[in-house]
Amino acid sequence: MVLLVAGYAGLMVAVAAGLEWLARHAAVRSDRYRTAGFTYQPDHDLWVCPRDETLWPHEVDRERRVVRYRARPTVCNACPAKPDCTSSHTGREIVRPIDRWPHSEAGRFHRGVSVTLAAVAAAFVGAALAAFHRPVELAVLVPAGALTGWLLWRWARDFWRTPSGFPDVSTVRHRGTEDPAAENPGRSAGPVLVDLVPPSRRRTGTAWGFDRQPTARGYRSTREAGTDDGEEDPT
Amino acid sequence: MTAVRERPGGTGRRPLLVSKAWIQAVALVMLFGFAVMGLLAYRTYTAEPPIPDRVVSADGRVLYTGAEVSRGQQVFLHNGLMEYGSIFGHGAYLGPDFTDDYLHRAAESVTRQLGGGGSDTVAQRVIQDFRENRYDEATRTLTVTPEQAVAFDENVAYYGQFFGADDTSKGLRPKAITDPAEIRQLTAFFSWSAWAASTERPGKDYSYTNNWPPEPLVGNKPTANVVVWSVLSLIALLAGIGALFAVFGRWGDRLGWRGRQADTLSFRSPDAVTLTPAQRATAWFFLVVGLLFLVQTLLGAASEHYRADVTSFFGIDLARLLPYNLVRTWHLQLALFWVSAAFLAAGIFLAPIIAGREPKRQNVLAYVLLGAVALVVFGSLIGEGLSIHGVFSSPGSFFQSQGFEYLDLARAWQVLLTLGLFIWAAILFRGLRVRLARDHMGNMPWLFFLAALAIPAFYAVGLLVDSGDNFTHADFWRFWVVHLWVEDFLELFTTVMVAYIFVMLGVIRERVALTVIYLDVLLYSAGGVIGTMHHLYFSGEPAEHMALGAFFSAAEVIPLTFLTVEAWSFLQLGSRQEGKSATPFPHRWAVMFLVAVGFWNFVGAGIFGFLINLPVVSYYEIGTALTANHGHAAMMGVYGMLAMGLALFCLRYLIPEQHWPERLAKISFWSANLGLLWMCFATLLPVGILQLYKSVDSGYHAARTLEYVTNPTNSVFEWLRLPGDVVFIVGGALPFLWICYLGVRHSLRRRTTLDEPEDMLFTDITVPSEDGRQREASGASSTTSAGD
Repeated sequence: MVLLVAGYAGLMVAVAAGLEWLARHAAVRSDRYRTAGFTYQPDHDLWVCPRDETLWPHEVDRERRVVRYRARPTVCNACPAKPDCTSSHTGREIVRPIDRWPHSEAGRFHRGVSVTLAAVAAAFVGAALAAFHRPVELAVLVPAGALTGWLLWRWARDFWRTPSGFPDVSTVRHRGTEDPAAENPGRSAGPVLVDLVPPSRRRTGTAWGFDRQPTARGYRSTREAGTDDGEEDPT
Repeated sequence: MTAVRERPGGTGRRPLLVSKAWIQAVALVMLFGFAVMGLLAYRTYTAEPPIPDRVVSADGRVLYTGAEVSRGQQVFLHNGLMEYGSIFGHGAYLGPDFTDDYLHRAAESVTRQLGGGGSDTVAQRVIQDFRENRYDEATRTLTVTPEQAVAFDENVAYYGQFFGADDTSKGLRPKAITDPAEIRQLTAFFSWSAWAASTERPGKDYSYTNNWPPEPLVGNKPTANVVVWSVLSLIALLAGIGALFAVFGRWGDRLGWRGRQADTLSFRSPDAVTLTPAQRATAWFFLVVGLLFLVQTLLGAASEHYRADVTSFFGIDLARLLPYNLVRTWHLQLALFWVSAAFLAAGIFLAPIIAGREPKRQNVLAYVLLGAVALVVFGSLIGEGLSIHGVFSSPGSFFQSQGFEYLDLARAWQVLLTLGLFIWAAILFRGLRVRLARDHMGNMPWLFFLAALAIPAFYAVGLLVDSGDNFTHADFWRFWVVHLWVEDFLELFTTVMVAYIFVMLGVIRERVALTVIYLDVLLYSAGGVIGTMHHLYFSGEPAEHMALGAFFSAAEVIPLTFLTVEAWSFLQLGSRQEGKSATPFPHRWAVMFLVAVGFWNFVGAGIFGFLINLPVVSYYEIGTALTANHGHAAMMGVYGMLAMGLALFCLRYLIPEQHWPERLAKISFWSANLGLLWMCFATLLPVGILQLYKSVDSGYHAARTLEYVTNPTNSVFEWLRLPGDVVFIVGGALPFLWICYLGVRHSLRRRTTLDEPEDMLFTDITVPSEDGRQREASGASSTTSAGD
């Protein structure tokens, strides 16, 4: 029984990890809806289009936490593939999220799933601990409990600290009246190239959630952003 | 993008946006699928276990007649016993499987009469007695051994005491069935089903039910077909997934929907969208939806409580008023009702956006439909309550509930509901007519209408089911509704609706949406139509139903795996708001529900579904908690979440901006998902696995007894579910109901300024093109311009 409980707790954790992986895979595929055919070159922080044209970093959108890359309009407007590529007259644009996968709305949902599964595992181990106290049983349950508890804590902490990156409706709603330029940042504000640091070469979005190092990550991490976005003027 | 707007007065139809090959492929797949289904229907009637005219003992005494078997089936159904236990593995999971229960008791009795279980020769003799087919086709007479005749009498006594008990210890109302004639008919029905489950088919070495249930006393063990088709379907699945991923990995990007830049959009604030009268009418639909959803979850909690503690509901003897079978009947019926009602309402809401206008008095029709729906829902629920409490006792009454799981409602309500669904399709047609006239029949407006039309059409198949029919073919048609209707055609309609919403929100363009829809139809129908048979492995169908069912439903998992990963990412598209919209995206939680649908489609329908799909697994598993696990994760996870998402999408426009409860939507979203997750992973999955283990280890009968189901270990698991259920009901269903209420409250005060709906264009989205021209992308124009 004890082994069964520990095994089931382990299964839950494994399922959570598997789902994390799959959900991230789905997110990558979701990205590819927009970027299929384009390749990102992390060394130079630019994209290359299927016609070998380069898309340069164009602006950092703090509100939506994305970096926009844009190709030269002169090239795009003359390109025969344009109808299948973009309707924009100012060059094809590609968007790359600054934050890694869990920092998206969908990512948060899936992290929430992981937290719940870890909580199920912890609850099982906890219930078993309440019922079985023999040393042998404790020898199985305590490590299992420690592992699931630790994972639960890491995932949950990560979950709470991760903003969804979704623009808050209440703050955005009335902004247009105060700042007409923000209504159409693409045209009026022009390229914004502040604090653009090439991103690190590490693969974005590793699972587990405990490898986020807020400092050495190129574009600022969300945690940083959360602390000083309010004070800084985006333009 | 240049806006190519069709002249409203133009006579020509808009050409098809995608290749004709898509339509041809869909037509071929459908033709093939339904041709095979026709063949299988024919085989069902020719190869089902016969109901003998007379069952006689070897000494010539008539035990029971064919009429008594049919009547017994009606007693079984009308008393809601299919929502208590099961027959041929189909039904509810608290009570025993009565096929297996009778078989086990009869075999034990015969063994005892022949001199005890210790002897090998006796065991052989029992097996021989039960397996030999002594049915004479010429005289339509079945002869049973004297021992089996005695066993029948013993069982009549046993079931008389089982259903006549004056207490609620089994979760049934006290003295559920007391009429000795009815008990005898009921036992005759169980006896016939047990006969079909143990007697070898003519010329075959396995029983009519492919040797189900696993009962060693009568020599029932998995047939070669069960094992071989499990293996073959598993191989088909693996090969199919490999092939599909290879093909799409290699050529997927060329399907033409990839790599295009998202349009720059400016979402219209919900306040700026003027509603039509019919759209405003949907607020009432959603109030009903929210109410039914809450009631359904409460009933679910009550039925769950029966598993945790069968005799007392926190000190109340609930079974006197709401016995388990009534609670479960309502729980299942409401699951269909509130989800369908949400789909109906969403259809009515979307139609004017698609058509670009609304004919006069469409709202009157919508209110008529609402009244009809409410009448059917509450009428049928009350009718089921009265039936189970024994008010309608005349057999086959038009108002007596039919009692088939999922088709519980009385024939009168069933006819009304079918009519209501057709009226709904007619309302949609009326609203869409102008739009349909201008469009090719393969384009989205037509797909929307045709998918809607398929809903009443396939629900109507349920009218073929009669409670007095041979259970095997009644069940065949029943699963046309339960599987084909729910799992295929509702799925189809929702795919079209979600794709359409994405087009309206500018997430994807119409051509892409069309491709996705066609691909979806193609892949789902290839496996899904014939895959219906995966419900019918053991209900008296010949082996080919199992072979085809296993093979094609495994093939159904291929698109599920692929499409869900694909649809998962597709549904996540809506949640990516990275465009430079000047106005906030209004549908944050609606699209999050769609993200959840993608997740649950994969976990609930794909994984949990396939877990129980192989014939050899199903052989031991059918009718246990693992089925409930799949049922909850797929029904609530996919359709429930979808219905909630669609409701929030529509309610967002019905509720003025200043009153929109963003926080409540958020709470509802998280609670519904986490609660469901907790329910599945903390209770249903572990309990199901333990029960499956018990079934393989100690026999199916042992795993289905009330003693096992409510034993202390299981009870702990059931109690563990409580926090999740509380979160789900209090955090998920209640706020949702409140949002629905807000929809009615505020949409009423919201005056629609239109006097002439015909002239009103629906503007949902404005797309500012880069050169500053504003293009109004109403539903109509965004769809017409997407084809360039």
